[in-house]
Amino acid sequence: MSRGTQNTFVLLVGLSALVMAIKGTYLHFVKPSLLPWLVAAAVVLIVLAVASIVRDLRDAPDAPDADEHGHRHRPWLVWLLLVPIALTTFVVPPPLGAQGAAPEAVAVTAPPKRAFPPLPAGRAPAVSIPDVVMRAAADSTNSLDRRLITLAGFTVKYPEGTDLGRVVIVCCAADAQLARIHLSGAAAAEAAGYPEDTWLQVEGNVVPGTSTASTNFIPTIAVSRVTRIDKPANTYAY
Amino acid sequence: MEVLLAALIALALAAGAMSAFVAGHADVSVAATEFCGVFVQALPFLVLGVVISGLIAAFVSADRLARWLPRRPAVAVAVAGVGGAALPGCECGSVPVARRLFGDGGSGAAALTFMLSAPAINPVVLVATAVAFPGQPAMVFARCAASLITAITMGLLWLRWGRAEWVTRRLPTPHATDASRWAVFTEAARHDFLQAASYLVLGAAAAALLRVALPPWVFQHLAGHLILGVLTMALLAVVLALCSEADAFVAASLTMLPLLPRLVFLVVGPAVDVKLSAMQAGMFGRPFAIRFGPATFVVATVVATVVGLVVLR
Repeated sequence: MSRGTQNTFVLLVGLSALVMAIKGTYLHFVKPSLLPWLVAAAVVLIVLAVASIVRDLRDAPDAPDADEHGHRHRPWLVWLLLVPIALTTFVVPPPLGAQGAAPEAVAVTAPPKRAFPPLPAGRAPAVSIPDVVMRAAADSTNSLDRRLITLAGFTVKYPEGTDLGRVVIVCCAADAQLARIHLSGAAAAEAAGYPEDTWLQVEGNVVPGTSTASTNFIPTIAVSRVTRIDKPANTYAY
Repeated sequence: MEVLLAALIALALAAGAMSAFVAGHADVSVAATEFCGVFVQALPFLVLGVVISGLIAAFVSADRLARWLPRRPAVAVAVAGVGGAALPGCECGSVPVARRLFGDGGSGAAALTFMLSAPAINPVVLVATAVAFPGQPAMVFARCAASLITAITMGLLWLRWGRAEWVTRRLPTPHATDASRWAVFTEAARHDFLQAASYLVLGAAAAALLRVALPPWVFQHLAGHLILGVLTMALLAVVLALCSEADAFVAASLTMLPLLPRLVFLVVGPAVDVKLSAMQAGMFGRPFAIRFGPATFVVATVVATVVGLVVLR
């Protein structure tokens, strides 16, 4: 493999990171907080590649292949870099949905209770699904009781019914987990009519006492209204 | 070069068809997304690592490094272990840095200790662990202690039994003594990036495929079996190849397991996993990786279990 090809690979990896950052597709794979680091990495790689290309062009006559020995063993391995370049720039796999996340852990013991901050004011404040799951299991102030809330997520089909879920990532898509909530009540049948992975906004009350060891701490919400929504640009919750 | 250009044009032309294929096959799409997740997450840390290793190549000569470290090798290993706390980042970055510090022989044991301790005991990772296990400071302490002991043990084992000829990969020798610092820096960073990144591709692919292939019951049938739980979590740490800044949150979510197997997960993960072994094979050579990986696995599992039994009771 020539030095020119190697430098081009460094340049291409940098450019594909930059493309991901500009098009926002990096959100399929990692958290928004990685953006400045990703851009910095892209800039460093592009500068490295350009500096090497410029120096090789300048030194070309007197020092051909001066330091090839580092790559004699398996130079073809560098070709593997085509895989991430192709996937992140050309193919762009979709963010994980209902199928991709790890099955959630089965909690044996209840998490320790603590006081959560009160829900936002208003008739039906928007709360994230992982937040609802946490509050239902561990909130000592029972902030969800007798409150109408609005949830957004995708439908997950089970033989026993339909759930609303969100994929939670901590760091990157490889640690994704599914947070979900069972749907019941007047409008649950409407939600069940949609195919899997349909994005819905629902309004309803969390049924007190449904987040227990016997339900794997998955709460139930009695739904009064279901609206179909567009898939958001950033599908993950954090 | 021509082949690369042709490949790029082919990719651009086939992009639509490939996207449709990936979107149409759930398993392929999940594996592809997880592969990209591991790669994109690791990329900034890897770049930080090769920048540091380039700076070491340009500014820290082998004899200057030797002057910084204590004369006695065992003391140098201990200093390197504690010094690992100074490199905030995860394990992908520390492999090229350690390879650069390792040099060709010399203070090798200290470099390996640094490689194992840096991703596990730096402040970012410890804070993440504290956040993931609220109200359980013993977990943070146990993780720090077990990782440090593992790193120092491996350094001492290398001092006693390690052989320089296992390290078959050579660093590119600086071609001219009059090369500018900038030229040395860019050459070293470029070389290390290509080596480490291409092996990162192998490791990320292995991790993504294993995650898709791993049956869900693995996660669920472990409660109550201590030894089985420890072994499974140690193997999971190797297979999942999580970033050391994220693994605490994953371990925290596996609430069906007692704390001890989860501690083993946190100690083994940053020290040895499929992605790291691939990168070590790339930077140090295969004879090194096939000995160092399993040895680290055994030491980390045993040390974490013992520390856990003492601290988490």
